[in-house]
Amino acid sequence: MSTLILHSPILIIAIPLLVAFLIPLVGRASEKARNTLVISALVFVEFLVILLARDVFVNGIHVYTLGAVSADLTVPEHFIVPVRIILEVDGMSVFMGLITATVSLAAAIYSIAFMRKETGRDNFYTLLMLLVVGMFGMEFTGDMFNLFVFLEVASIAGASLAAFRLRFADSAEGGLKYVVLSSIAGLLVLFAIGLLYSQYNVLNMAAIASFIQYTALDKIALMLLVGAFVMKLGGVPLHMWTPDTYTVAPAGVTAMLVAASQASMYALFRTCFTIYGGALNLMTVGWIIIIFGILSMFIGVTMALPQTDIKRLMAYHAISQSGYMLLGVGVGLAVLGNPEALNSYGITAMIGSIFHIMNHALYKGLLFLTAGALFYVTGTRDLNKMGGLAHKMKFTTVFFIIGALSIAGIPPFNGFASKVLIYESVYQFSPVLSIIAMVVSILTLASFAKAFNSAFMGPELPQYANAREVPKSMIIGMAILASVIVFFSLCPGLVIDWLVEPAANALVNQGLYINTVMGAVVP
Amino acid sequence: MFISVFGYSLWNPVIWLIVFVIMAVVVYLFRSRGQEQYKRDTEQTRVFLSGEEVPGAEKVNIRAHNIYWGFFETLKKYYMVLVKPHTGIINDYVTWLVLVTALGAVTLYIVG
Repeated sequence: MSTLILHSPILIIAIPLLVAFLIPLVGRASEKARNTLVISALVFVEFLVILLARDVFVNGIHVYTLGAVSADLTVPEHFIVPVRIILEVDGMSVFMGLITATVSLAAAIYSIAFMRKETGRDNFYTLLMLLVVGMFGMEFTGDMFNLFVFLEVASIAGASLAAFRLRFADSAEGGLKYVVLSSIAGLLVLFAIGLLYSQYNVLNMAAIASFIQYTALDKIALMLLVGAFVMKLGGVPLHMWTPDTYTVAPAGVTAMLVAASQASMYALFRTCFTIYGGALNLMTVGWIIIIFGILSMFIGVTMALPQTDIKRLMAYHAISQSGYMLLGVGVGLAVLGNPEALNSYGITAMIGSIFHIMNHALYKGLLFLTAGALFYVTGTRDLNKMGGLAHKMKFTTVFFIIGALSIAGIPPFNGFASKVLIYESVYQFSPVLSIIAMVVSILTLASFAKAFNSAFMGPELPQYANAREVPKSMIIGMAILASVIVFFSLCPGLVIDWLVEPAANALVNQGLYINTVMGAVVP
Repeated sequence: MFISVFGYSLWNPVIWLIVFVIMAVVVYLFRSRGQEQYKRDTEQTRVFLSGEEVPGAEKVNIRAHNIYWGFFETLKKYYMVLVKPHTGIINDYVTWLVLVTALGAVTLYIVG
């Protein structure tokens, strides 16, 4: 078991990668064998992530040096800087890993039935596993160029999956928009890495963090990274691709694209808190992130309200919810240099936001899966053509209610648990921001009340007289997410103490991140 | 009352669940004291519209685009401004990315 834990960071990335290449071979033999391989691999990866999480929360940061004699040999003899690719898994990384593992597993099980009628399913699952590889790689890596590589892997796999159903004309358009914007974002990230490398001659994040001086070039690199990651997470005003891509992707893929956007948010936070940390102008950069957050929240929800395409409505809500995360972490960053404010409300704001990341991935994933269930039964995403489906689709209705009440921040659901932390802490920073956040929650509830009424309420429509509930694997996929939501709703304190607070502390503690890799080496 | 200091206290979901269960029991007690002669799918449950013929389900169902009409009518000008940048053209999306990144870089360079 200790060997498994020791090698878990690389196994979590390598196993989905290996399975991705095995799928075309196994798929030739039997479809059932392929599905079993995919699900088994993701279950095992989930198990590894849980083991790794326990190790990180008990023993501290887990480093893994690729190609070294021992996994924790970060700086070789006669060297003063790390020279190999190092995976550095702290509380925040493993927190994101748990989200990725859970959402991927639910999406894969869901896709077994949802994609049954599609051709090229071997390609679908190969790309799905590559997307999982990209996400885990981004979350666990401690190397900037490695981050770029996994960002590209995730982007290309995600775009291919979004455009998978080419028989729909808009699928190719959604995939194209995603791949073009992701490529440009990737180039911005690469250029920023080039700027940092040219000054400090290192690519390791901890090493850059220990050398960084916040020169003019560093400021340009920072904004390139911030711009690229804000675009990838769907922050306003760089969000316009999000509804186009999320709408056309198969439902399970959309849930995973949401998790992928959270991986980009993680990369943004890692950049600001760990790589730059105390070197940057905290108030300025904090307010830049807060402004992105407020714009995302308000514009996301007001654009969602008039939508009649259910997935497009949910995509705009994904943008809006990302705003809450940016707001809370932006407040935390702005007061990072003020210990009194940080301890009073800064850490709470970050805890609320980080908790919201996990909650959002769960309930947004669930909502997209329910939207997929509606499409599976009715053949349409248009809310104007739906109605009375609660009579026939009882499980989907219940799951939709759970997701909708969570996203609206209605107690006692998990969405409320994270939002109330954000409201309370942000209120102390600026009451206006907190009030905007509360108004956005009200509009979110209004929007989902509209969607619920249109799709599920009302008399049974004659065209859906023969409609039935979706297949079991789709229900199981939704049930996995719904049960985690219910668990988080009933025990938010437990989740915060064991998962969220260590993640927030890991982000804030730049020194520990640096020292774990650099040790006592003086540059 | 701050959650970080006092915990979730009144917002504790278990308390909310207990309250919900109590309310559900109260609702059940009220319903159980209702009409016993009530029978589903009979003349008793037919919709009455002042003697008018009841339209079919398709006409009765309120469609999504009709909901919140007043809200959108009031905020027409806001939506005219908001919808305009959402052109759907990828060139515009790339322009936004480049402009916002450049503006941010200039801001950071000047302000710090």
